[in-house]
Amino acid sequence: MIKLEKISKTYRTNEIETLALDNINIEVGEREFVSVMGPSGCGKSTLLNIIGLLDEPDEGNIELDSQHILTYEDKKTARMRNRLVGFIFQSFHLIKELNVYDNVELPLIYRKMPARERKMKVTESLEQVGLLNRMHHYPAQLSGGQCQRTAIARAVAGEPKIILADEPTGNLDSVIGHEVMEILNKLNNNGTTIVMVTHDEQLAKMTNRIVRLFDGRLVG
Amino acid sequence: MLKNYFKIFLKVASQNKLFTFLSLFGISLTIMFVMIFSMTISKITSGSGPESDLKKILLADRVKTMTTMQKKGGGYSVSSCGRTLCADHLKNISSAEHTSMFSYGQWEFIFNRIHQNKSITKTDAEFWDVFNYKFLQGRPYTKEDVVNKANLAVITRSLKELLFGTEDNVLGKSVRYTTLDLIVTGVVEDPPPTDQNANGDLYFPYTLIPDNDGSDIFIGGFRIAFKAQSPKQFSIIRNDVQDMIARLDAADTAHTVFLSGPYTQLEKMMVGYGDPEEFSLGHNILKYLLIAFCFILLPAVNLMALNFARIHERGEEIAVRKSFGAPSAVLRGQFLFENILMTLTGGVLGIIMSYVLVALLGNSLTLRLSFFSSVPLTFSFNIMVFIIALIACLLFGLLSGYLPAIRLARMKPAVYLKGGEL
Repeated sequence: MIKLEKISKTYRTNEIETLALDNINIEVGEREFVSVMGPSGCGKSTLLNIIGLLDEPDEGNIELDSQHILTYEDKKTARMRNRLVGFIFQSFHLIKELNVYDNVELPLIYRKMPARERKMKVTESLEQVGLLNRMHHYPAQLSGGQCQRTAIARAVAGEPKIILADEPTGNLDSVIGHEVMEILNKLNNNGTTIVMVTHDEQLAKMTNRIVRLFDGRLVG
Repeated sequence: MLKNYFKIFLKVASQNKLFTFLSLFGISLTIMFVMIFSMTISKITSGSGPESDLKKILLADRVKTMTTMQKKGGGYSVSSCGRTLCADHLKNISSAEHTSMFSYGQWEFIFNRIHQNKSITKTDAEFWDVFNYKFLQGRPYTKEDVVNKANLAVITRSLKELLFGTEDNVLGKSVRYTTLDLIVTGVVEDPPPTDQNANGDLYFPYTLIPDNDGSDIFIGGFRIAFKAQSPKQFSIIRNDVQDMIARLDAADTAHTVFLSGPYTQLEKMMVGYGDPEEFSLGHNILKYLLIAFCFILLPAVNLMALNFARIHERGEEIAVRKSFGAPSAVLRGQFLFENILMTLTGGVLGIIMSYVLVALLGNSLTLRLSFFSSVPLTFSFNIMVFIIALIACLLFGLLSGYLPAIRLARMKPAVYLKGGEL
C-alpha cells in the first residue's frame, strides 16, 4: 500500500541545515497497522507528511496504492490526499468556525458528491465514533476525546485506504487514549491501512509493527 | 461548499470585530462616494424634467477659430457658438427633427429690498420643441414672435411666486429685465437643478438682445441642441454638422474654423474646456476610468494590507483544508469569495449611507462638474447606478483579495499543522 525508497529530506534556513530524513526505505502492506516511534525531532512527522503528500522529499521514490508519485502537481496531490488518505492530528486541527457536522463533511465537499450522499456518509462516520448527538456542537463545546473522535470521523468520512495519525492520543488521558486506539483498531480490522506516530510504547505494541527512527534514520 | 464558506465568513467577521470594522469602513466610504457621484452623473445624463428627451439630443457649444495672424503665432480663440453661425447655418441641419439655439445670462436685481440673483435664457421658438417644459399657464412664444422681436417671456413657477406672490393668473403681466418690459406669455415648472441645458428662471426671444459682436460669425455666446428622432440618427447629424463647418471653413479665407461635437450630454461633460481640437473622447474616457480605478485602488490596497496581516490567522484552517484535498485554486476561490462577500457587505452599507447622506444633506452639498457649473447631490434609482456600485464592489473584492489569496493558497500545510515549526 505504501512504499518509500531512499527518501531523504533536509530543511534549510539561512543559517542551518537540518537533515530530517536520511535514506529511508519503508514498505507498509495493505491492512497493516504500523506505528512510528522515536525521540522528538527524529523526523516522524516529516515522514508522515511525506507519505501524506503534504511535503516533498529531496530524494527518493514514493508509491501509494500502487501509484508512483512522479510529480507534486498541486491538483494531482490534492486529489490523491482527498481520495486515498485521511489525517488525524495530535491537536485535532478541527476548524473552530465549523460545527462537528461541517468539520466531518470537509473531505467530501472537495469531491463532486451530491449533498444527500455527503449527509449519509457524515452521519455514518459520526455514528462510528459515537458522536451523532453532537453533530451541531462546535469544537469549543467538546471535550478533548470528543474532538479527537470528530477528527477520526473526518478522517474516515471519505473512506480512504490509508489513515495517517500523528500522535492521535498525545493530548488525551490514558482512558480516552485507549478509546481512540480501539476505534483505530476497528478501522484497521475493517481494512484500512494505518500509520501512526506515537511516543507511547504500550499503544505501539497494540499495532502490527513498530518502525523506529533516530536522527532521521531507520533504526529498527 | 459555498454554504461552508459563508459560515466561515460570518464567523471570521464576527470574531475579529476591529478588522471587520476597518474593512467595512474603507469599503463603504468609497462605495458611498462612488454611488453619490454616479447617481448625480446618471441623473444629469439620463435627463429629467424638460430634459426628459436628453437621450435624443446632441449639443454643441465649443468653436475654435484661428485667424491667419493667430495661426502664425500659434494662438487661437475658443468660445461658445456665434449667433450667425447658429441662426443662419447650424439651424438649417435638416437631419435633426428640431434644432434650437439658446444662450444664458445672469440677472441681478433688487426686489422688496432684497438682492436677487436669477438666470435668464435667451432662446428661439424651437427651444420649446427640443425641451419638454411643463406649462402651468399660457404658452411659449412662437417663431413669428422671435422673428418680430416680440417682448414676451416665459417664467418659472418660483420666479412667478417671487414677483407676483400668490396671484393666480400672471399671463399678460409685465416683467422688467434691464431695459426691456417683457409680457408673461407662459409659466413653467422649475427645471430640476441637474438639467444642464434646459435651465433658467426667465426665458425670452434671443432676438430681443442685439448681437454684440457681429464681426465674428463663428464665435459668440450660444449653445445649439439637435433633437433627433432617435439616437440612431446621431451619426448622420454629426456628419451633416461637420460637413457644414467644413464648407464654412473653406469659404472663409480669414479664419480656420473647428466645431467640437455635437456631443451627447455625457460626452459633452467629458470634453472639458481645453482646446477642443485636442480632445479625444477615447483618451478622456481612459483618463476618467484611470482616476476611478485609482480612487478604488487606494482603499483596496488598504484592505489588501489588512488581509495580508491576517493570513497567519487562517494558516491552520488552510492547512487542514489542504490535508483533506482542497487544491490551491479552490482555496484561492474561497478566500476571494469571502473577500467579495466582505466588500459586498461594505457595498450595501455604502449604498445605504449614500442615500441617507443625500436625503439629509443633498441640497447643501454640490458636485462640481466644471469651473462653470456644479449641481446638488441627487437621488437616482436606476439599474446603471446599481451596476456601477456592484462592479466597484467586485473590483474592490478582487483587487484586495487576489494577492493575499495567492499567498494563502501557497502556504505549506506541514508548517501550520505543527504549529509553525517542523
